[in-house]
Amino acid sequence: MSFKQATYDEPHIKSMQSRTTFETITGEFSNSIIPQSMRIDQPSVPMIPEYDVVRHYTRLSEMNYSVDTGFYPLGSCTMKFNPKYADKIAAMHLFSETHPLRPEWSVQGSLAVMYELQEYLKEISDMDEVSLQPLAGAQGELTGVLIIRKYFELKGELDTRREIVIPDSAHGTNPASAAMGGFDVVEIPSNKNGTVDIDALKYAVTEKTAGFMITNPNTLGIFDPDILEIAEIVHSKGALLYYDGANLNAILGITSPGIMGFDIVHFNLHKTFATPHGGGGPGAAPVAVKKHLADLLPPPIVRKNNAGYYMDYSNSKLGNIASFYGSFGVLLRAWSYIKRNGADGLKLNSSRAVLNANYLAKKLSKSLKISHDGLKKHEVVFSSEQTGVRALDIAKYIIDSGMHAPTVYFPLIVKEALMIEPTETVTKRDLDAFVDIIERSLKEDHETISKRPINTASGRLDDVKAARELILK
Amino acid sequence: MIDIWRGANLDDDFAMLDYLGFKNFEDLFSDIPAKIRKGNLRMDPHHSEYDLIRQAGFLASKNNYEDFSNFLGCGVYDRIIPSSVDSILSRSEFLTAYTPYQAEISQGMLQSLFEYQSIISDLFGMDVTNSSMYDGPTSLGEAVRMAIRVNERRVILLPENIYRNKMKIIENYTSGLNVVLQTYKLDDRTGMIDLNDIASKINQDVSAVVVENPNSYGIIDENVLKVKELLNGALLIAYVDPVSLGAVRPPGSYGADIAVAEGQQLGIHQNFGGPYLGIFTFRKELARKAPGRIIGQTTDVNGRTGYVMTLQTREQHIRRAKATSNICTNQALMAVAAVSYLTIIGPDGLRKVALASAENSIKLKKSLSSLGNVNADIFTGTSFSDVPVRIDIEVEKLQEKLKHDKIFGGIDASSLFAFPRKTDEHIYFFSVTEKTTDDDIKRLSDSLGGIR
Repeated sequence: MSFKQATYDEPHIKSMQSRTTFETITGEFSNSIIPQSMRIDQPSVPMIPEYDVVRHYTRLSEMNYSVDTGFYPLGSCTMKFNPKYADKIAAMHLFSETHPLRPEWSVQGSLAVMYELQEYLKEISDMDEVSLQPLAGAQGELTGVLIIRKYFELKGELDTRREIVIPDSAHGTNPASAAMGGFDVVEIPSNKNGTVDIDALKYAVTEKTAGFMITNPNTLGIFDPDILEIAEIVHSKGALLYYDGANLNAILGITSPGIMGFDIVHFNLHKTFATPHGGGGPGAAPVAVKKHLADLLPPPIVRKNNAGYYMDYSNSKLGNIASFYGSFGVLLRAWSYIKRNGADGLKLNSSRAVLNANYLAKKLSKSLKISHDGLKKHEVVFSSEQTGVRALDIAKYIIDSGMHAPTVYFPLIVKEALMIEPTETVTKRDLDAFVDIIERSLKEDHETISKRPINTASGRLDDVKAARELILK
Repeated sequence: MIDIWRGANLDDDFAMLDYLGFKNFEDLFSDIPAKIRKGNLRMDPHHSEYDLIRQAGFLASKNNYEDFSNFLGCGVYDRIIPSSVDSILSRSEFLTAYTPYQAEISQGMLQSLFEYQSIISDLFGMDVTNSSMYDGPTSLGEAVRMAIRVNERRVILLPENIYRNKMKIIENYTSGLNVVLQTYKLDDRTGMIDLNDIASKINQDVSAVVVENPNSYGIIDENVLKVKELLNGALLIAYVDPVSLGAVRPPGSYGADIAVAEGQQLGIHQNFGGPYLGIFTFRKELARKAPGRIIGQTTDVNGRTGYVMTLQTREQHIRRAKATSNICTNQALMAVAAVSYLTIIGPDGLRKVALASAENSIKLKKSLSSLGNVNADIFTGTSFSDVPVRIDIEVEKLQEKLKHDKIFGGIDASSLFAFPRKTDEHIYFFSVTEKTTDDDIKRLSDSLGGIR
């Protein structure tokens, strides 16, 4: 292994105190204009030369693995290449320097982008109406849950519809969002194929059920072929069906949540539509619904008439869930990605993502136990239990070899889980190298592997100490 | 399938399909029943990169009103952003990474977020800052939820002039809880909190009192200093303007238990509404009830200082339905913008930005007061960035006039507030920043002076 991550003994920025070199504005100002009781002489901010700040964060960035550094197969996160044209467009100052409260006639360019994106998302999902407002996947889910809540409140059934049913393979945000919206969470087990256990679903869905939240393909990378029957069961009890769009990259242009019978969908633009994840955010998660729920979406919806584009606030039964119209900078990048790839490119990308996942599934099956046999979609889950090597140790071996690790210990229903999502933006050469790395990790003795990583900026870190001492600033 | 436009190596695809025993891409989707297969996407085929950028530029040009004077604010402000902030954010090692789940290979982002927590905690005078929420108003929604978790009481007291978008978010964020949202008055003369009204509404059921500083009238509210002593066990939640903290006392100094803010002003472009930054700070004793990611300092096996995500047992990926919040993806990159901005401009820079804003508010008020036909001195309190002006004109007429005179501004209080009062009628906000020039103020003054 020849990988060695850049490593600096980089001090905390506060200890770099020296002087300030950046001049915001010229002139002298007196704080006597601030009421005396509220006045301070100087805020508690360190003095650091601009060049030192830039050097400091440049060095820190070198100690950070990213999609631009290499393969990043973090399961369920869709860490695909973030195209640079989208950066260029998002940085156009006539987009980025626009105040959100400017009158509609002065922001026709931004509104056109939002309108077109709404239309694209409707076509991709086969849903009827979309709100671009929610700011990340979990907020999209919360929006969906609150739409469910409002729907039953208006029907006068909220007192009895207290439960949201969720499969045990679901993302953690699903139960958390349902609970945040005030529902009781009912978890149902998966069947031996890794998909929804129809009998368990029939038992769980009752007149008390408000909704069923599911992602298809699920977190095991398996497409649930019974989805129409599932929709039928849920709808027959009067409940709503919610689509977690985290795994949409597998099926874009092949099928859609609308066709599958879903009532509500959120899209993760930072996953499927290649907007950069920013080291943890920002994301964006527009929510789409079928017609019967259209007046429950958070406003505004961008519409078009002869005079141009305008914002429609008439759908205000739920009201807003965030300040303005969504993460416009992220929406703009997703618009760019969709336009650049077009109908042909989007479908090709999904196909390649699925091809890569299946290729890894077969190749890695020689060394690790696959969670479930059969065709995979965007991702594949393995267990390292039978090898005697912990998933955590394999992950550390992988990062020590200069690639990013898969998601580990998720989904919870697979022991020693490694959840791998290659996406479409990786070559066979890198996939083969990744398999090689995992195979080598399984041959390393326990003593050596448990001391890894040694080639990264830091060695294994003491989580227990962090939680005990709670040094948070 | 021929794929010239990407210049892709088709051999890879065929080699992998062959390895799987498949003939084509279609074979990869045999598990999706025919009944639910989708026809072709009804949208254009791909565009070249050049063509896309040209089209984007064309749309951008429709936003071009650069000859306008800008008096828009009310939560989002056009402030000076050092070029270095954009440069740091464009480091693709930050831009294209995700949440630092593998800490050893992600120390750069972890340390940057830890430093953000430090710098914000110091600026706010608070113990702990999480490593970001979506935006200011959703942070306030989460703060209210957190207060209820902490003391399990059910009444939240809010200022009666709270913005409509904040109120709606709080309602939506608490709709699953058994909560009563109640308002308290502001003083008509000073434009500040009516302390007697808060005192009369405090009882054992009150979970938290929300104060804003500057408040929704844009006034630096001196009465926030006296709220803590009224609380009788309720928590104090402060919603502040982070730039004001360059010259105004921080929320920690007047006893805030939770302090939140919109961080857009700290080096983040206006972006037509986002991405922004939710700043979320609190007292250390409340840490286990807090939402969001928190970065902690620790050591590695070699004794070197390092950073990890900590207190994760609060979070959705561990606690699922019992998590303190559902938040996962946050605004990490925007937090890096904020820490870069603050460290680059330094204490004197922030002080100047704050004081220049307050000074421009005074200049604006003076200039408008001399007109005679508008009232720029509605309240005796000191304005920070948003100046409320009473103009005896309907909103459409005012907007027409401003458009004609090439001015953005004049946000109508009745559209901004959740519970507009009779006295808020015909109040329009004109906002200033350190960028506002004397020429801008003259243009506005000339324009409003022409209203009859």
